[in-house]
Amino acid sequence: MSDLSVSMSASGGLPHAPVLPEAPAKVTVRNLNFYYGEHHALKNINLALGANRVTAFIGPSGCGKSTLLRIFNRMYDLYPGQRATGQLMLDQTNVLDPRLDLNLLRARVGMVFQKPTPFPMTIYENIAFGIRLYEKISKSEMDGRVEKALRGGALWNEVKDKLNASGLSLSGGQQQRLCIARTVAVRPEVILFDEPCSALDPISTAKIEELIQELSENYTIAIVTHNMQQAARVSDKTAFMYLGELIEFDDTSKIFTSPTDRRTQDYITGRFG
Amino acid sequence: MAVQSDVIDDAGPYDRAKALSAFKLGDVTFYWIARLSAISVLLILGGIIISLIVGAFPAMKEYGFSFLWTQRWAPSADPPVLGALGPMYGTLVTSFIAMLIAIPVGLGIAIFLTELCPQWLRRPIGMAIELLAGIPSIIYGMWGFFVLGPFLANTFQPFMIKIFDGVPVLGAIFAGPPSYLSLFNAALILAIMVLPFITSISVDVFKTVPPVLKEAAYGVGCTTWEVVRSVVIPYTRVGIIGGVMLALGRALGETMAVTFIIGNSFRISSSIFAPGTTISAAIASEFAESDGLHQSGLILLGLLLFVLTFFVLAGARLMLMRLEKKAGN
Repeated sequence: MSDLSVSMSASGGLPHAPVLPEAPAKVTVRNLNFYYGEHHALKNINLALGANRVTAFIGPSGCGKSTLLRIFNRMYDLYPGQRATGQLMLDQTNVLDPRLDLNLLRARVGMVFQKPTPFPMTIYENIAFGIRLYEKISKSEMDGRVEKALRGGALWNEVKDKLNASGLSLSGGQQQRLCIARTVAVRPEVILFDEPCSALDPISTAKIEELIQELSENYTIAIVTHNMQQAARVSDKTAFMYLGELIEFDDTSKIFTSPTDRRTQDYITGRFG
Repeated sequence: MAVQSDVIDDAGPYDRAKALSAFKLGDVTFYWIARLSAISVLLILGGIIISLIVGAFPAMKEYGFSFLWTQRWAPSADPPVLGALGPMYGTLVTSFIAMLIAIPVGLGIAIFLTELCPQWLRRPIGMAIELLAGIPSIIYGMWGFFVLGPFLANTFQPFMIKIFDGVPVLGAIFAGPPSYLSLFNAALILAIMVLPFITSISVDVFKTVPPVLKEAAYGVGCTTWEVVRSVVIPYTRVGIIGGVMLALGRALGETMAVTFIIGNSFRISSSIFAPGTTISAAIASEFAESDGLHQSGLILLGLLLFVLTFFVLAGARLMLMRLEKKAGN
């Protein structure tokens, strides 16, 4: 188990070897605390997501990384008894402001879930649905937008002849790319991935990782993953979380080669987690 | 493998065969019990249809197909003149109006309960709906007769009649005079009676929508209404229509409450505020005093209700298949 980090660097698992220059912050988190009822799930989180960078969140189950992700688009608001304190800024917008228009926020901050979640409608409608929420455009314009989104999701060539088939008829990997295309179609600024590959086979996983890399040219990306090679492959920065605290947050290459904290080292070498 | 056979040898080969044959006997018994249960449904259904046909035969021979489009119902004339048009019209119209009211209200309650309702209000409303389903139909009938009928005749009916006075088509549908006993009153009572079916089945199927699917819809920026309309309802379409069909079946066949408040008039009127009758109400109010051809005519009405219900439910199923195709399944 302990040769994990060695094999990773040997196989060239770190594509971002030359560390990119520090990017301006797109999302800034300051003194963020989160509670599920009485349970204090996140403790004093401070970090920033760089614009057009991929930030990975790793840590053992229950450490709060998905919880953190669900604060970025206020998804926790759907459930009573969950609340956040502190500050979370998306550019100049205070995300935690109770008066904030949540629909608008979620259009700016898209999310891709662990399991593929195609809506119960055709492939075309799955994409057009999100666009229609915000824009009134002609049929031909919509066709163009759907094609562009499906190309963005690296799915166009596989589905262009069956756009009227149900979204549920696709394979798991295709469904997940459909969900990514659907998220991209709304033209968000930030995309959150919550373990997007955990239900997929290795080939689909590779496709989605490649896609995430491409998307980072235009979007700010946060990804929660249990797969450390994946974090190493796709991300520029990595945050290691443990028991609701942010233990270490640094360039991915640094986290995986010379972590400062003992717990980070133990986790990435597989000694616990 | 070797280890296993040793163990079995210890128990003795004879015991094993015996145990197996006991299993087999149990299996065969189970198979036949299940199969007989299933067959008994067919036998009962067949028996009912046959006895209906036998009972209705004299009336069928006497009136033939003209029974279907004769409006006059004069069992004491000589010879008796019987026609099913009035009751058939009443059955279809009351059920249609009842569904028109009950589907949106029932779905609305279900949506409120599952998506919008604060936790503390959920149980009281849910229990009220279930109690509604538990009220015997005779009580609905009495309430409709003594309370709802007079109330509607003094308030809602004159109001509608006045508003649509002189409007083509609608003026004829909402024509006076107001009446305590009418098709509309019966339809309203039916709507209340079938509401629990639609609501409780819809609540159950709405709960089967995976939370992550709803989150995904909220995640692209949907409002609650958009999530319900575009994700929850399409996802649960089949279940909802199942509930609606169950409710429709109940509405078509409901007898006691309707007999109380529909007025039992065989004349067809364009106005829904006029008295009418349904097939089951006609049978319930006349069967005890009938004999000969009259009784056979009532049994024929029952057979018609059977056929009518079958076609309505088959039509609903066909519509469901169409919907599935449209959704790309």
